[in-house]
Amino acid sequence: MPASSLYPPTLRHERPSLSGLWFAYSLCAFTGVALFLIPAFIIRPFRHQGPRALLLAMTLRQRAPLGTLIAALACLGLALALWRTVSRWRKSILVLTLLVVGFSAVMARLNYFEWMFHPIDGPQFLAQADSKLDTKEMIMAVRMGSEARAYPISQMAYHHVLNDVAGGVPIAVTY
Amino acid sequence: MNGRVLHFYLAGINNQNFLMRDRETGTWWQQITGKAIYGPLQGAALELVLSDELTFGQWRSESPGGKVLAPVAKYTKDYDSNWEPDVAKLPVVISFPGTDLKSRDVVVGLTINGAARAYPWETFAKQSPVLDRVNGAPLLLAIGPDGKSFRAFASRIDGRDAEFFLQADAKDWTLVDATTASQWNFQGCATSGPAQGKCLARIPALKDYWFDWRNYHPDTTVYKH
Repeated sequence: MPASSLYPPTLRHERPSLSGLWFAYSLCAFTGVALFLIPAFIIRPFRHQGPRALLLAMTLRQRAPLGTLIAALACLGLALALWRTVSRWRKSILVLTLLVVGFSAVMARLNYFEWMFHPIDGPQFLAQADSKLDTKEMIMAVRMGSEARAYPISQMAYHHVLNDVAGGVPIAVTY
Repeated sequence: MNGRVLHFYLAGINNQNFLMRDRETGTWWQQITGKAIYGPLQGAALELVLSDELTFGQWRSESPGGKVLAPVAKYTKDYDSNWEPDVAKLPVVISFPGTDLKSRDVVVGLTINGAARAYPWETFAKQSPVLDRVNGAPLLLAIGPDGKSFRAFASRIDGRDAEFFLQADAKDWTLVDATTASQWNFQGCATSGPAQGKCLARIPALKDYWFDWRNYHPDTTVYKH
């Protein structure tokens, strides 16, 4: 039996630590991207949402703003540690993944549903005489105390959610 | 919620019923139920405010001095006044075979002490006013003079069950009750006769697609006649 096999080579001890760094880097990049992408994938229109998938989506989305930030910073640190040791094409992989993780961290903070359906902040109201609505148009109506309010469905079907105060009571109008 | 004002925003979609979150706690709420389904306030429920689906004309005649939500100029091109027929063409992601109803059939749904019933719009429109009983409670459902507005009431006058009929020879849309022969308007209030001045108790009712109503009311019955 050759002696060398009895003694593990010690000269290449830098290698395991480098691959450890790469492993950690992949892990944090995956986490950063998954925190944004998995909920976005589950909660998409015209698709069925199962109860467990929805729970997963909400759980991840709830933690995504902080989680993606930590992942992005960790990735950045690891990438800097790896930077000097790697070839040019691996550098480009680092830059590319950092961009994706960064994008994920930004998207986790933005509400893209409101890009499709803009909210109304500070709703304005018209007197009946000033409204251009057709008499046949459908509205949702509430009466809070002496205050009567109408929310045209054509408008609510676009905005979907409206925060209002009627008769001193805060209400959420939804369609 | 518990004396704290929450502000909601659109946060996603759950089988075509939307999810909203509140800015204050980040809790997730289901639109149709008003229940907190995930987050710090999970298990809580918003109080339902009685609301109506009416035509603008009907509402204006009932609520002079009322205010109308103003359109936001930069989004007016996104408003769709043909919304209902347009949405009816969209695909559905859940279906409940075993009834005569199709997923996109419009129903009016209501719940009496936990017992839910759906009234298919087509049947409702043909038969209005509909007299029914859910969980022992007598109900009156009516579509208004415009053929589009609808309301549901507890069909009781002074605690006694009552029956209502559309008065065919009246100039305006009028209901008559069989007990006192008083005349009632679409707001559920007696305008003349012995019951004049009395109003029926309102029952919250929701116009919804069958698949959505059935999804959140798995034990719902369907009105048939």
